[in-house]
Amino acid sequence: MDNKEMELNICHLYPDLLNVYGDMGNILALKYRSEKRGIKVSISNVSVGDSFNPADYDIVFLGGGQDYEQSIVSKDLTDTKKYALGEYIEEGKVLLAICGGYQLLGKYYTTPEGEKLPGLEILDLYTESGSTRFIGNTVIYNEESKETYVGFENHSGRTYIGKMKPLGKVVAGYGNNGEDGYEGCIYKNTYCTYFHGSLLPKNPELADRLIKTALEMKYEEPVILEPLDDKIELQAKEFIIKRECKKDQAKA
Amino acid sequence: MSKIILKLSRFLFKGGTSFPGIVALKLDKKILRTLADGWNVILVTGTNGKTTTTSMVYTMLKDNGKKAISNSTGANMYAGIVACFIANYSFRKTDDEKYAVIEVDEANVKFITEMVSPKIISVTNLFRDQLDRYGELYTTLNKILEGIEKTPSAKLVLNGDESLLGDLGLANDAVYFGFNTPIDESAKVEVNADAKFCKKCKSPYKYYFLTYNHLGSFYCDVCGYERPALRYSLDKVEELTPDGSLVEINGNQYYINVPGAYNIYNALCAFAIATELGIENESIFDSLKSQKSSFGRQEVIDIGGKKLRIILVKNPAGYNQAIDTVSLEDQRIGLVLMLNDNYADGRDVSWIWDVKFEKFSGLDLERIFISGIRLYDMALRLKLGGLPVDKFVIEEDYDKLLKGIKSIESDTVYLLATYTAMISFRKFLSTKGYLKELW
Repeated sequence: MDNKEMELNICHLYPDLLNVYGDMGNILALKYRSEKRGIKVSISNVSVGDSFNPADYDIVFLGGGQDYEQSIVSKDLTDTKKYALGEYIEEGKVLLAICGGYQLLGKYYTTPEGEKLPGLEILDLYTESGSTRFIGNTVIYNEESKETYVGFENHSGRTYIGKMKPLGKVVAGYGNNGEDGYEGCIYKNTYCTYFHGSLLPKNPELADRLIKTALEMKYEEPVILEPLDDKIELQAKEFIIKRECKKDQAKA
Repeated sequence: MSKIILKLSRFLFKGGTSFPGIVALKLDKKILRTLADGWNVILVTGTNGKTTTTSMVYTMLKDNGKKAISNSTGANMYAGIVACFIANYSFRKTDDEKYAVIEVDEANVKFITEMVSPKIISVTNLFRDQLDRYGELYTTLNKILEGIEKTPSAKLVLNGDESLLGDLGLANDAVYFGFNTPIDESAKVEVNADAKFCKKCKSPYKYYFLTYNHLGSFYCDVCGYERPALRYSLDKVEELTPDGSLVEINGNQYYINVPGAYNIYNALCAFAIATELGIENESIFDSLKSQKSSFGRQEVIDIGGKKLRIILVKNPAGYNQAIDTVSLEDQRIGLVLMLNDNYADGRDVSWIWDVKFEKFSGLDLERIFISGIRLYDMALRLKLGGLPVDKFVIEEDYDKLLKGIKSIESDTVYLLATYTAMISFRKFLSTKGYLKELW
């Protein structure tokens, strides 16, 4: 099947609440890279009080928010979308969760005041609050895909992913918890990370992997995406790799 | 003791910004108490518009013949403010009525109010701003409130259209300013605007109308919280041009000599403060008509016959306002966008994805120059926003950039830059002889 006959339905969960740090750029990148190949894209904003039907979507995006907004989301997710979202993830459909969204999918997270807030318990991970914030540009390497990803992390939560696969090994920066040297996690086709930046514009390989996987799940056939001119994308990525890795060498 | 320190630091450091303040504070932690004695202090804080509002109030006081000082170069942290008072300290006591109009960083309000009882504290607005430095919106609000709580006698002059500032539950007297009319009837709440959910009951706000971002005539139909009554209202926007705005405030017409909707808010805020200080409308009218732009804020520089208009951009709300202001142009223009990621700019450049660069596609753009440390991130943002890549000139080198700017046909070029990019490019222009004063 030709790219041009395909359609991609993207669900942006809580765009009005989980939208700090320019995570909107991820949606823009998915849209741009799909449309360049003639794939039709529709984006649905699903928020508080809306129903979420897993069958309607090929890619789901869950961003990060400020504490006040995140408390509103947490309640709505638990009340109305928890099971549907769990089903979507278990079916192996594509989901990308950033920062707060990443934490919410886990078992629990503890606040700086020591309060233990329940997560959605969909993924076998948990987050504890740390005394300092991990802030800065980060570079990671995924050994399986042999790809390098860059982003900006800003979190006080320390996330522990147990036996799940990480998104990558930390080359520069802090990662999930500053201890085990890993960043993010991958479960089936759910990708979680602390990376803002936004993530997908500067990591076009990852954006394409999400698009390709989503289309293959949907059309049940191998999909080949036409290559695009990614000069600017890769210059932006290369800049971070060079600068951050140089800094790290200087430190060592 | 303090006086000796003062004499010393005045003698040792001429000019400069915060340095004398840092030294003086090392020697006497409470020096501000001595320094500010006898001054009527007006504090201006909030995310955007501090520098311009401060400059407007200062101008209004001066034009009215009052003795006034101000930290107008934007050194708005504790030490910078101390330095401003040092620079203006007089060893002779006088009975003159004198005013210190001070812009203060949101997190620094509490340090000032620990030492000084301001006559007025004004908060312009609250937007997400460099979250790697300031933290979240409610954190910023709480820091300001902590500062206000220390000084219950200060009168508050607040933006009523800012839902975070209504019903603060403080002992202070508060007066509100705001709009009684939308600027653009079709304005809607953008999905990534800030503070869209009721601060009392977490339900989404409704709006009779919106001015920009989350500012406007808001109400909550669940708990009944709504915009407070306005003492100072912007009743009509007659005209918006790239040079200024014609508006009606409390029934009288004013021309504001700096463009953009955000500067109407700044002017309205300054109007409210000046009126509370007893300045007559006629005098304010003259001041607003001749208001000069502050450093890097809509400053116009002549580059070989071309008008280079510099607009400082720091966060999504301000950037969107800058884009709206550029959009008032109906002629063909050149654009220079500079993005740095030094500490003062915010290390995290993610926020550019929250800016509506897509709006630029409605303009007649001859060329788009992209520069600054994070130029590729900016280029990528514009590319994914659908702007024409064939018009991009991605150029790090200032000499080549300047040459490029001079080579285009358009008479007007807008330069939108983050703080350190603006400072360094201004400095570069100054070495090339295009600027008379650096500060």
